[in-house]
Amino acid sequence: MYRLVPITSALVLALAAPTAVLADPGNGKGGDRQDRGQRGGEARDAGPAHAGGHGGQDHPGGERGNGRADRPPEDPGKGRDRARERGPDRAGTVRVPDLVRADRGDRGDGRRDASSDLRREAARQVFQTRDGRPVVYFSRDDDRGLIAGCPPGLAKKDNGCLPPGQARQIARAAEAARYDWLWRRGGDDDRRYEYRDGYLLQMNPQGSLLGWLPVLGGALAPGAAWPAQYQYQPAPDYYSSYFGLPSGRDYRYADGALYGVDPQTQTISQIAALLTGQTPAVGQPLPAGYDIYNVPYQYRDQYADGPDAMYRYNDGYVYQADPKTQLVTAVIQLLT
Amino acid sequence: MKTMMRWTLAPLAVMALAACGAEDKAGEAKAVAAPSNRTITATLKDDRSFGVLERVLDNAALGDVLAGKGPYTVFAPSDAAFTASAGDLGDEAMKAQGAAMLRAHIVPGALTRADIVAAMERGGSGTAEMRTMANSLLTFSKEGDAIIVTGDNGARARLSGDETLASNGVVQPVDALLVRPAAS
Repeated sequence: MYRLVPITSALVLALAAPTAVLADPGNGKGGDRQDRGQRGGEARDAGPAHAGGHGGQDHPGGERGNGRADRPPEDPGKGRDRARERGPDRAGTVRVPDLVRADRGDRGDGRRDASSDLRREAARQVFQTRDGRPVVYFSRDDDRGLIAGCPPGLAKKDNGCLPPGQARQIARAAEAARYDWLWRRGGDDDRRYEYRDGYLLQMNPQGSLLGWLPVLGGALAPGAAWPAQYQYQPAPDYYSSYFGLPSGRDYRYADGALYGVDPQTQTISQIAALLTGQTPAVGQPLPAGYDIYNVPYQYRDQYADGPDAMYRYNDGYVYQADPKTQLVTAVIQLLT
Repeated sequence: MKTMMRWTLAPLAVMALAACGAEDKAGEAKAVAAPSNRTITATLKDDRSFGVLERVLDNAALGDVLAGKGPYTVFAPSDAAFTASAGDLGDEAMKAQGAAMLRAHIVPGALTRADIVAAMERGGSGTAEMRTMANSLLTFSKEGDAIIVTGDNGARARLSGDETLASNGVVQPVDALLVRPAAS
């Protein structure tokens, strides 16, 4: 049964890395950020590493469960404290923050910029099932912090960040700009978004640059070097197993996509999977947009909708929910 | 190849639909016809009516994703859906726009037409919503016998042709893009 139990050693490790980051804000360097990502990865992988060992289980869909969280995700600090207090038989969820803030420091291009303000918040939720198999969620926050300054390759001008040889690009940019709304985030009408040379630029209504992010197909495309300032979440082993990803690469999650990266050159070699990054926890309602039964063919006999349970697939998991309350009652791994 | 597949799958689809009718209402979306052994990417390449989509897919380097484990359901715009106003999303300079457009046409899991119809009938409003990989919502509704799908910004398309059950998901042809560019 998928009864959720709180903190294990893996989760403690997962908590340890962000704590260290929080304890030392303001010293962010490009290299440090990468290191932080790696530390977080070790912690995160420590849990899912158990999952790989279940690939040969008798029931490829995993066991069904009815574990339910007592409460929705909480403040990170409270979550840690309460998690320590819980006994092994109590279910719970913990929101793990990974907040990196660098108000000063060297930028990736070596320049020192006092106005640099890198803020990242990557939240994820970790559940530990009673049989030791963790469920790790990636987050995809619309209001995720942007990186301050001009992205690599663009020079700061009076009217924002512009590429060299801008005149010849104006015509093409005009056509491309008609899709700028596709990157609009968070429903904030006081911001406008432009795509330029691989990066999403966020501007205020007066046209001043507020921040930037690399985007899929732009700076995040095969052959491109991973942007040094761009934080990612290392993919846990479950995703490598589920998606059948080849070894020898790092797999990084960022903004709804899983990227294969050459660990030596830091070059993106593959876009391995698309993920919604919006996965509900046990006890939470299914989010909007899962009205339609979508379980993979091979699991439909096992997980068919019925009067007592409904099933929806997302990002490598099947979610069991109560048809009346729409609350998630179990998260099921689909390792084959 | 595509035509052959359709003829092969047609009897199975009829059987599947008949089986659906015999089941209780909550479980009507369970049975599906046997999927092909071709991936979504291979299915799109096989069908000449998706030439532009294939070019956009290659340009955005998302072919591996749709050839991988998935499963995904792709609402696949036919060549005619890429009107002049859409611009050339297969152009090298439009990779990111093409990737963003594609994400708005892909949803997680395997959605058959029977699943979509069942969800619309189950919901009191006669509509059903599905979240895309672009974090937008697609809304499904019926107009007569046609299934209409509407994107976040009001772009509307009709499910057209036949669905193809690929090895790693479903290809659902649509007759228009589910996003539309802002006026230039």
